[in-house]
Amino acid sequence: MSKPGGGPTAAAAAAAAQKQKALLQRVDTDIANIVDNLNLLVNIARVNDPPVRNAQESFQMEIRAARMVQAADSLLKLVSELKQTAIFSGFASLNENVERRIGEFNRLEESTDRLLERVGGEVAASLKELETHYYSSVQRTNCQ
Amino acid sequence: MNMEIDLDKLPLKRLEAIDEAGNEQFPLDIGYEEKRLNMVRRIDFSSVVEERDAKKQKNSKEAAGTQPWPWQSLVENLQVAQQELSIILDLINTVEANDAVTVAGMQRPKQLPHESLSDIVVSSATKLQRLRHLGRYFKQSSKALEQQVTRETRFYDSLIRLQQNWKVKRQHVGISVPGSESCFTIDLLHNSMTDLVLSSRSSILSTVHIDQDHAGVLTVKFPLRLCRRLSIEFPGFHSNHEQKSFQKGKVESVLHTREDEKMALAGEDVNEHVKDSHLILREMHRSIFQEQVFNLVNQKSYNYLPGVNVISMQDDCLQLSIGHGTYVSFRLLPSLEEEPNEKMNSNNQPQNRESGIRSTSSLGSETVDEKSYPMDYLNFPDPASLEIFLQYLFHEGVFLKFKERRTYAPRLVMPSQPTSDGCNFLGHFCMTISHRIFSMRVMSMLEGLVARVPYLHLHYHPTWHSRISSWCLSLKVPLSILHSRRRIKPSESNDLKRGFRSHFHTKVVLNGDQINVSGEGTHEVGSLRGDFAAGCLINCYSCDLVDLPMVILQQVAGQVIHWLHEEALIIGLKVSRDFLCLWFSLDQGDKLGLVANVNAGDIRGCISWWLVFDDSSMEEGKLGATDDGERRSHKFLGNLSLETLYSTLMDLVSLSVYGGGH
Repeated sequence: MSKPGGGPTAAAAAAAAQKQKALLQRVDTDIANIVDNLNLLVNIARVNDPPVRNAQESFQMEIRAARMVQAADSLLKLVSELKQTAIFSGFASLNENVERRIGEFNRLEESTDRLLERVGGEVAASLKELETHYYSSVQRTNCQ
Repeated sequence: MNMEIDLDKLPLKRLEAIDEAGNEQFPLDIGYEEKRLNMVRRIDFSSVVEERDAKKQKNSKEAAGTQPWPWQSLVENLQVAQQELSIILDLINTVEANDAVTVAGMQRPKQLPHESLSDIVVSSATKLQRLRHLGRYFKQSSKALEQQVTRETRFYDSLIRLQQNWKVKRQHVGISVPGSESCFTIDLLHNSMTDLVLSSRSSILSTVHIDQDHAGVLTVKFPLRLCRRLSIEFPGFHSNHEQKSFQKGKVESVLHTREDEKMALAGEDVNEHVKDSHLILREMHRSIFQEQVFNLVNQKSYNYLPGVNVISMQDDCLQLSIGHGTYVSFRLLPSLEEEPNEKMNSNNQPQNRESGIRSTSSLGSETVDEKSYPMDYLNFPDPASLEIFLQYLFHEGVFLKFKERRTYAPRLVMPSQPTSDGCNFLGHFCMTISHRIFSMRVMSMLEGLVARVPYLHLHYHPTWHSRISSWCLSLKVPLSILHSRRRIKPSESNDLKRGFRSHFHTKVVLNGDQINVSGEGTHEVGSLRGDFAAGCLINCYSCDLVDLPMVILQQVAGQVIHWLHEEALIIGLKVSRDFLCLWFSLDQGDKLGLVANVNAGDIRGCISWWLVFDDSSMEEGKLGATDDGERRSHKFLGNLSLETLYSTLMDLVSLSVYGGGH
């Protein structure tokens, strides 16, 4: 079955949308975990009427706290994944950077060529001047 | 202590009641369990309670009289609680042992107010402690997460900077691996290089793994010993040039940063690490490029190249003979040379390490004996310049063409298709080396000539061509002579108009290994009389230098003769010019000649002069041979300067005016 108007670009856009949705869902899940576990933690921390369940409540509090930290770590990993996506999938910026660098290197090449030409000219002029000085020097003229 | 004993009734059925009808009523049979239960209920704790109350009263009376111990009541309560618990335990054990009796129900006694408050206090204290523990846990987690954020920020910042110049790739590690992360690599191989010859070392070097240390600093792993650099050497020739090898120590100082400093890295430190990473990658990229150059040279040496012969070939060394007894070797040397006697200073700072070009006699297999080398190995081009030139040729002639071919016709590329570019590339390079060496020999020869001919000046004309060299030997008329000329003929101040020049040039052009000499005013054919155009040319196609000195000296001597001829014409003498001789016409048909004698081996001067008297009785051109050293028909004047020649000419003027004499 072929979708009308489908193609590599449409498929890529659909995949990107799906991925974005998944990421947003992960974000929501993690934040909901943090909020829920914090609420539960606060509830457990309330001093209730007896019977006393100290050991049970402390275990529950540790679990809630661990889940909160785990959700925060998951969020950080999500951020890291987003950074990697931005680095490796930002083709527009990458291409632009490559084009800019190419331009810079081309200009550098041209300036280097001009510099080499100028240096060559200066070297030739200096050589000629030195030769003139040498042949007009006392050391050389005394040889004649 | 009084103890009441209660005896159970005998297990007889006792009549309980008789009704009016005479029916006997016996008590109902009590089951076993019920009997047990009745027995338990008969346990009377009242005595114990009374005793306890009595003790309390007694103790209270005693406590009123003496100073109470703060924990006495607690101890008493605990003792009472222990007694009660022991009784209850006994009861429970009895109940458990007697399966027929079970506890129907228990009711917690109503708590006293202070007991409920104490429970609440205990619960609150416990929860407070737990919350504090959780607080510490959250703080530690927060710190760890902050460090992780800092690490990742530092790492990705460095990665982004690297990505601006290098091709960074991401590889996902297997999903099944717990805690798997992405693996980053840098691909140093250009897309257009895949068609070129790649060694296994280059393939290994082309992929560089990026690691992240504990502080999040991006580090680049590179195999130190696989990096090599291209070196061009002339066997038997120890170059003064020392190439700076890659500073390994600097990299080591990067990799071994102290742990306590890593976490406190500032932005400048991160920049330094990024720069060092760039440096490492650049060195590896250069190593790959130079290995490709060497591989291509090695490959193209299999093809026939005029004037080039392969002497030896190894994995990392190629020796060629490029003619004229010249040998050149291409070698791959390690970029990082670890010397055994190398020491680090106390601060563990790197020291600059420079690896000079070693003599090839240290190699295990040396095919060219050093004793067979020509002695004039002083005129050698700088190997560093040759290395740069070789890489330039490779880049311009091979690499860019591969790139263009892939860009415009990627489907037509044949990986194994041989190209003529490579052959031209190596042949051109070898011919350039040969030309440079030969050019230096020519120049040294010219310098030697100029040193022995004072009025001859040598000028080097850069052609900016790799296989063409050009020099100009100029002969300038001294200013004093020019001034005297103007004094003699003030009306003819424009010498150029008359075709008289004050300087003569001889151009020597070395094209490959062909020497072309072009001069002016040298020969009678095509003379300059009335014509300012250049004189005839003398070309010499000989590759060796044997004939060149004589050709040049003859050229220069001819120019001097030409100049003297012009000067004589200015004065108004009757002169004629031969190849290297200027004849003055005297009275009675006699001729006086000024003859130039060229000798390249004369250390006092290459051009000497003779004065020849040619009377009409002698054969033209022949010198009279007499036994005595002094010849009457010709006289040796020696190596004369231009001023001396001019003054000699002036003297000859008077001679010609007042008549010739021996």
